Amino acid sequence: MTRPISSPVRVFDHGSTFEDAALRRQDGDHGLGMRRRKIDGHDKATGRTLYADDLSFPGMLQAKLKRSTRAHARILSIDVSTALAMEGVFAVITGNDLPAKYGIIPWTRDETALAVDDVKYIGDAIAAVAAVDEETANAAVKAIVVEYEDLPAILDTETAKVTGQDARTKVNPFAKKGNITKGVELSFGDVEGNLERCRSEGVVVDADFFFQGTTHAPIEPHCAIGTMDERGVLTVISSTQTPHYVHRDLAHVLGLPEALVRVVQPPVGGGFGGKSEPFTLEFVVAKLSMITGRPVKLLYTREEVFYAHRGRHPMQMHYTVGADRTGKLLAVKSAIDIDGGAYASFGMITAYYAGQLLTGPVAFNSYAFNATRYYTNKPACGPKRGHGSVQPRFAFEVVLDMIAEKSGIDPIELRRRNFAGDDVLLINGQQMNSSGLIECLDAVRTASGWDQRRGKLPRGHGLGVACSMYISGTNYPIYPNDMPQSGVQVKLDRSGRVTMFSGASDIGQGPGSALAVIAMEELGVLQDHVRVVLSDSDLTPVDLGAYSSRVTLMMGHAALEACRTLREQVQDAVATIWECRPDDVLLGHGKAWHAKDTGKAMSTKEAFVLAEERYGTLGAVGGYRTRERGGDYRGGTIGASPAYSATAHIAEVKVCERSGRIDVVKVWVAHDCGRALSPVIVEGQIEGSTYMGIAEVSMENMLYGNYPKYGETPGPDHVRAGMLLGPSLLDYRIPTTLDTPPIEAFIIEKPDRNGPYGAKEAGEGPLHSSIPAVANAVFDAVGLRLTELPFTPAKVLTALKKQASSSSKAAE
Amino acid sequence: MLRMDPFLTETPTSVDEAVALLAAHQAAGRSTKVIAGGTDVVPNLKHGLFDPEVIVHIGRVPGLKGVVDDGGHLLIGALTTLHDLSVHPLVQQHASGLARAASLVAGPQLRRMGTLGGNLALDTRCLFYNQTYFWREALGFCLKKDGSLCHVVAGGKKCVAAASNDTATMLLCLDAEVVLQAPTGRRTMKLEDFYVANGIKNTVLEAVDLLVQVRVPKAASRRFEGYAKLRHRNAIDYPLLSVGLRVDVDGGVVSAMRCVVSALQARPHKLPCDAWIGRAFEHRQERQDVVDGLKQLAFAKCVPVKNLADDVVWRREMVRVLVQRAFDEAIGEAS
Amino acid sequence: MRPKKTVLLTLLVNGQRHEVAAPQHHTLCEVLRDKLRLTGTKQGCDKGDCGACTVLVGGQAVLSCLTLACAVDGPVTTIEGLGGRGTLDPVQDAFDKCGALQCGFCQPGMMISARGLLDENPTPTIDEIRNALSGNLCRCTGYTKILEAVLLAAAHGNDVDQSYNDMRRDRVAVSAFPDVPPGGGLLIIGQGKSQ
Repeated sequence: MTRPISSPVRVFDHGSTFEDAALRRQDGDHGLGMRRRKIDGHDKATGRTLYADDLSFPGMLQAKLKRSTRAHARILSIDVSTALAMEGVFAVITGNDLPAKYGIIPWTRDETALAVDDVKYIGDAIAAVAAVDEETANAAVKAIVVEYEDLPAILDTETAKVTGQDARTKVNPFAKKGNITKGVELSFGDVEGNLERCRSEGVVVDADFFFQGTTHAPIEPHCAIGTMDERGVLTVISSTQTPHYVHRDLAHVLGLPEALVRVVQPPVGGGFGGKSEPFTLEFVVAKLSMITGRPVKLLYTREEVFYAHRGRHPMQMHYTVGADRTGKLLAVKSAIDIDGGAYASFGMITAYYAGQLLTGPVAFNSYAFNATRYYTNKPACGPKRGHGSVQPRFAFEVVLDMIAEKSGIDPIELRRRNFAGDDVLLINGQQMNSSGLIECLDAVRTASGWDQRRGKLPRGHGLGVACSMYISGTNYPIYPNDMPQSGVQVKLDRSGRVTMFSGASDIGQGPGSALAVIAMEELGVLQDHVRVVLSDSDLTPVDLGAYSSRVTLMMGHAALEACRTLREQVQDAVATIWECRPDDVLLGHGKAWHAKDTGKAMSTKEAFVLAEERYGTLGAVGGYRTRERGGDYRGGTIGASPAYSATAHIAEVKVCERSGRIDVVKVWVAHDCGRALSPVIVEGQIEGSTYMGIAEVSMENMLYGNYPKYGETPGPDHVRAGMLLGPSLLDYRIPTTLDTPPIEAFIIEKPDRNGPYGAKEAGEGPLHSSIPAVANAVFDAVGLRLTELPFTPAKVLTALKKQASSSSKAAE
Repeated sequence: MLRMDPFLTETPTSVDEAVALLAAHQAAGRSTKVIAGGTDVVPNLKHGLFDPEVIVHIGRVPGLKGVVDDGGHLLIGALTTLHDLSVHPLVQQHASGLARAASLVAGPQLRRMGTLGGNLALDTRCLFYNQTYFWREALGFCLKKDGSLCHVVAGGKKCVAAASNDTATMLLCLDAEVVLQAPTGRRTMKLEDFYVANGIKNTVLEAVDLLVQVRVPKAASRRFEGYAKLRHRNAIDYPLLSVGLRVDVDGGVVSAMRCVVSALQARPHKLPCDAWIGRAFEHRQERQDVVDGLKQLAFAKCVPVKNLADDVVWRREMVRVLVQRAFDEAIGEAS
Repeated sequence: MRPKKTVLLTLLVNGQRHEVAAPQHHTLCEVLRDKLRLTGTKQGCDKGDCGACTVLVGGQAVLSCLTLACAVDGPVTTIEGLGGRGTLDPVQDAFDKCGALQCGFCQPGMMISARGLLDENPTPTIDEIRNALSGNLCRCTGYTKILEAVLLAAAHGNDVDQSYNDMRRDRVAVSAFPDVPPGGGLLIIGQGKSQ
């Protein structure tokens, strides 16, 4: 059997060929683009995978945290004496033991592992206990007595705007001005002039939107284990998405050289952005293990996961969008208030993303946005899947639907007319090389029967469309440096095995499988002969982590570079024996093949032996760093990405006019991921993202007690202010199998010159447009423009009643 | 993970032994709690809502499982699981509304663990109660547990935590009785008398009592029964509101009618339905007339309070919708 | 805190008898994970809301986090006991094959629920599968591939790879979803043109 390879159709920077891949799709399960089992699938199927909480060590202690029962208060005293005296308690620490400030963004280091002077939300960590077991630790935590002096709780952006001038109403002393974390104001082109033009000859839509916050709710709660050995090497094992940043901040907070800190990230049981920065638990287990000399584990309860939060920011958004008579978008203007919670987290970036990530794949001629993130006395918000851009995308895509309606243009056609195009510089200076928007729209349009059904279904039943784009990593790393954003080391040897070492974080999205695909594609080995070692700072090169959809692109490039170096050595060694050109040595399906002589073949093992004989010990490294930076203005690098994905959703809904309940009946989603290294995994990302979006529209709701409002006299039950109502998976409802509609996912491949084999992201983009697609479907179903998420039945029923009474008034 | 505070466990193997153990521990001043499936008690233990010194696990007591037809009644053992109840042919035949109510409790695993007795004895629920110790401490605790303040009704002196048991709603419609075993002997009482309007403890069950059997009278004539549950998710969730309905028809007219609305406050709310006795119930319009009247009555009588995070105005609106749904279910027109 | 009282329990787990000393107030989940080191059983929510800790007790899928260890009455099967020696249960094989495993954390519980279903009902409909798995929350997959995997495990237990190819060819899995227009499914567009 020969591997059917013909001359390339199109070769990318790092490319093998498309024709090649298409042929092999019919050919079994080898290499790029095949429906293949995940490299870690077997371990996960058998329960063998060890997550952080599955690990234990001899003598290990359990830690627990004392948390604030006040939304905003000064700590007057902390009495740990009773706790410390309890049998089985080994150590108790408070804020003074870990006073150094840290934060994922080096410019906004505004948190400490344990509260130092004041507490900023109900659930803020105050002290930590290490004890023989969790029961003892719990009892010790209960025995810690904290005295507070209550301060006014600032619970929403409206209040945050008018407070923060004095210490009592300042949520976080880091805020330089009032309670503002970050304000961003950017403008591109003549927005006011264009709006004026649209008002006189075209259409202008002015609308307000509110996106209630949501949280990630991964099924695995956060867990970390710290150990300090006799040489002074600290090891922290943590269920984190960003082990590298945890590593840096651990060294910083504990005052240790980075070389004496080891961070290991075991497989993570779901992240979605909820584990993408250092958290209290990592510092606490480190410190407690340094004090006690024992391994210390801290596993968050589900409730504590809610307090760790860093979920989607509530945003109050105002949009003014103008289009000419043909539906061409001329101006977009937005003003956004962002409710940030007690700490900055990624908030500085959030403020930028709220504006910067909107400029494609639907383009407009001028753009101005003003986004301000405020501190409030609630758990800190941060990056949830589609960081910063899901909320504006919801608002903008609903506005597009309104423009389509007013202009009498089909909503899909409106988006097509405003498509930015390929290889374009977007209005904010970001380079978009490729966008499969049109193909995405076509796919969902056909599959959903849009042309035959939209606007023609009986009342209560409707279809809606929306689209979006997302980044595949950011050009600019979180801390400024010129080092690679991802490094991969590959070793192969005479056994025929390839071992890949990467710092990339597996949070379920499958970087190990991506590495294996690349090894198979480049070195011809079978999947079973690939070993992957991920994310252990003692063993693996640095990778910045699993966030901003960067892994496939950046780690992929690094792996390609390393594998290509080794492939050349293998080809060269085999070519010498076969006396042919190295290019004629093909590697695939566990064998080396002669391109022109079907009689010649050998196993990859034999080929590797030849290479090892010729070149000595075999190993190579690869790294990825971005060449481009982004727009040439302050903030122009934020949101600038090597490649942008595209997504289109069509949702079909049924609205029950008696109960106000919206049932999403079916969702069609098409996503341009450039190139699907593993289609099964890409589909899983598209389906999972869509599911999460649908959940955010219909049921997920971060509700806080807000009585009394700021300035009101507190009643006896005043402590309700700032309490998260129902921090559990019973009260914070995420959909079950019976609440999730059938999702039909289509992969669109529009390769990007900056992606490995053309690949772009698939993990976050396909969430965005699911939300406005549902909103727009509700309009098609019952003529309601819902603008406040989530669309709870109570809100929908109220809106329906208002609609009925106004239409009956109109009839009079 | 959430850990429980230590307790001792007893595992009796007969009803007599169980009640004797309960009595002995009580007499010795030790607090006790009976556990069967554990689906309500264990979360409450983890939340520190229950703090017994002794747990009496009755899962191994024989003879308390299964459904028997004694001619006039279905006799249902208290340890019959909700799953078994929902699929039991006798229950489906003679008490279809009960089978449906049982099938809508929580999720599949909990229905295989949870028992009918446990569901009937389910502790009342409230947004401000079913939370961890930490959360309740931050709240300042509440009237029902560890505190003196009601957060649902400002200044409220009576706990309004809600009866949230699906099966009770339907069994009340079916005029069921419960059989309780105490050290002093057995007693049978109407389920209606089993519940009281006190959210702190909404049953008359004493610490030494064991609920051993549920007796459901079989229909004497043609019967329509339906159950409707309001919840956000189609699994796992407790009811935000529940409605049970039963209409017996004899000679084309209503001979008996019951409608119970629950998940409002501590005691399931039984609506007075006698006014409809004798009303024609054959034709579609006759039936709709009955339900329209019932909807009005239910809406007037049932006023949800803020014991859940959901909007009370909406929950009240849903009373009418659920009555209609239970009715549609009853006459086999559920969509 | 009251003192703990430890009891000696005899548990039959995955066909093996274990004598284990555990505090009387510990749950089956705590004993499986902490004492027997069978960490395949997960805990995600603390208290019966997520299904990650699902195990079979006497063939029934139940939540080990709400089951007192001393109340266990019957053989226990955990994810570690699903397959035979060196072989996968068809459910495990199908979950792997279909890509139903992303982060994998909810999946042991999910697979146990699926096994419990198939033991009672070897040829479930898609709605029966949805019902049986409705107590297991998954945050990664949107359930699509999980449902596909259970259908696959039910359809052809023995050769999952072959069955998967058949199923995709015939679109059995997807057409089992209501309202899917025929001919839908995976569309691969290379370089922007339809193949």
